[in-house]
Amino acid sequence: MAQTNLGIEPQTLKAIYGEMARIRAVDTAIQAGLSAGKFTFTYWPMTGQECIPATISQLITSRDYMVTTYRGIHDQVAKGVDLVGMFAEALGREGGVNKGKGGSPHISDPSSGSMVTTAIVGAGTPIANGLAIAAKERGEDRVTIVNFGDGATSIGAVHEAMNLAGIWKLPVIFLCQNNQWGEYTPVPEYTASPDFAVRAQALGFAGHVLDGNDPVTFHAAMKDVIASVRRGDGPVFVEARTYRLGLHAGVGDNKSVTKEELAVHKARAPFDNTKALLISAGICDAEELVKIEAAAKAEVEAAIAKAMESNPTPESETIIDVFADSDCVPRRGHYPIRSAEGDLPGERKTMSMVEAIRDAQHIAMTKNPEVFILGEDVGDPPGGVFGTNKGLQDEFGPNRVRPTPIAEQAIIGAALGASIAGMRPIAEIMFTDFFGVCLDQIANHAAKQRYMSGSATHAPMTIRVQTGGGVGGFGAQHSQSTEAWLLHTPGIKVVYPSNPLDAKGLLLSAIDDPDPVVMLESMKLLFTQKAEVPLGDYRIPLGVASTKREGTDISLISYGWQVQQCLEAAEVLAKEGVSAEVIDLRSLVPIDYCRILDSVKKTGRALVVHAAVEFCGLGAEICSTINEELWGKLKSPAIRFGAEYAPMAYSSVIEASQVPSAKSIVARVLAAVKH
Amino acid sequence: MAITLTIPKLEMSMSEGTLAEWIVADGAEVKTGDFIYILETDKTAREVESPSDGILRHKAPAGETYDVGTEIGEIV
Repeated sequence: MAQTNLGIEPQTLKAIYGEMARIRAVDTAIQAGLSAGKFTFTYWPMTGQECIPATISQLITSRDYMVTTYRGIHDQVAKGVDLVGMFAEALGREGGVNKGKGGSPHISDPSSGSMVTTAIVGAGTPIANGLAIAAKERGEDRVTIVNFGDGATSIGAVHEAMNLAGIWKLPVIFLCQNNQWGEYTPVPEYTASPDFAVRAQALGFAGHVLDGNDPVTFHAAMKDVIASVRRGDGPVFVEARTYRLGLHAGVGDNKSVTKEELAVHKARAPFDNTKALLISAGICDAEELVKIEAAAKAEVEAAIAKAMESNPTPESETIIDVFADSDCVPRRGHYPIRSAEGDLPGERKTMSMVEAIRDAQHIAMTKNPEVFILGEDVGDPPGGVFGTNKGLQDEFGPNRVRPTPIAEQAIIGAALGASIAGMRPIAEIMFTDFFGVCLDQIANHAAKQRYMSGSATHAPMTIRVQTGGGVGGFGAQHSQSTEAWLLHTPGIKVVYPSNPLDAKGLLLSAIDDPDPVVMLESMKLLFTQKAEVPLGDYRIPLGVASTKREGTDISLISYGWQVQQCLEAAEVLAKEGVSAEVIDLRSLVPIDYCRILDSVKKTGRALVVHAAVEFCGLGAEICSTINEELWGKLKSPAIRFGAEYAPMAYSSVIEASQVPSAKSIVARVLAAVKH
Repeated sequence: MAITLTIPKLEMSMSEGTLAEWIVADGAEVKTGDFIYILETDKTAREVESPSDGILRHKAPAGETYDVGTEIGEIV
């Protein structure tokens, strides 16, 4: 006769055990395969932590979102990721859930709700907020559970994400699986504040400490937690206490503790204790448990056998899934011709770049209710530090124009998560220099999500960022040109308009683009450039350069605010008898090598000009391609001209001299033409 | 079906290992989980378990150091 006062339905406890058995079978099979040399992938064991996801699996469905970490195989199994696809992924096979491109540390499987798996400690938390925003804005009752280890409580992203979730009351559960180890370092050695739940309370929401090894109490408490989050009561932090019995990475026991201490934790581990409870409570007999374990083992063995039949993902897949369209991938010898914008709407109005950007966002938000803006000070009345969003919050409300805390990781992560759920967020970062504090979210996550997931998920988000430089007085941390950081990161598209008309059309293209796009907005241009901008919706396609001035003696190739310097230089050069063509790239990735090479074929000379540091800048890349492709047809080698190798100086005298100017461009051209 | 035994990669930093000793003789019967050989790395020595039931065939002598992935035996 089954015991009735357990505090959990017998069938639920049995189901939890069933999931634990599946997790254990997977863990055992991986460790055996690694020991035999059958597998050679890196494994971050979660032995001892089975109870947490096994229990949660009984309280959520595949509609609920999950984010986890590289030590998350147990989470994947319990969330319902197909085991064949999971093993094939861990083995780097084409049959993997992510085509073998992400591996076990990057599983993304929307069919089960396992949306993002990160190998960067703590970085999943800002992304989880974005998934939660999508659920909330769409009126769905999904909860988002983001798993991370205790070690992640020390990293800044977690603090930023928790603070944002608190202020926006997001339906997200911060699930800290406290396994007592941050890699090889125990909790008391890395923090003087080991009571992690208190941190949530400090940020204005509930934090609970639960025994993650006890399915009965954990189930009861998580049932309430999940119900409250689903109801819309805001985020909850849960510290689920458990113990990592294995190494940080590899096979075998945790060797950082004595055998005696490990034995104590093994005795407290949930697998055998749950089994014993099922028997003592009269829910299952030993024979039934043997059957459950045997079924799990058979399922896992069959999955591995099937996964091993899949072929290693071939080389031909290398550039697939970098972008939605592989033609956007820069490749030697591959210079696609992309159609230019054609005729634009006739009715026009004089606009500054600020007004053009605002207009583009207004159009996008009107057309698509899933477009929203987030960033520091973006709400009204300021409408952004530069006023690029003025009036939008008044018109569209606080949920679609969301002023944020000063927390760039939280901003980019929230945009990323919402975009993975299919929304079209526009994140504004006030200065490109601040990419330094959120580059992990941009470069490790947004840029790589499509690739790591084999296009199972992708990030159609836009990042608008203001760049200083050329205006003087902002110093080294508000004046630099950081585009090379982005250009060197496969998976991010980058546009850099030189005028209001392009800014509007590029931004509208960016918002609709299936990939993450960064638009750099030069402070020097935002207010000074005015142009007749077409009213209504129009697009400037990505990857299409524009000829701003025709010439025959040299091609000046530039982008952003340096286009204006090139045009001024071309005027001066004309008086010197040199006919300069000026090419405005507009898009840096995808890059329009077709129009670049056509121009240089005609002029026989090229100078690439940018405000970014010359050393290892885009100019070096473009010159290398021109010299390689047009060798023998050039009148002189393609050359580059960027900022000197120094931080941007506060002294306006230095600043004016350290980046190219019309005058110094003229001098560089004259030297080249005489060559 | 024969199961190939290769020098495993047990930790991220491991690139080679020493097959210190065959615990089970060539041609002997093994069961899943039996310790079959001792593997030494720069960090530790450990007993490696048999991944399946069958007859163990040695394919590499003990006392030598091999790269990760080198075939050292099989279970038939």
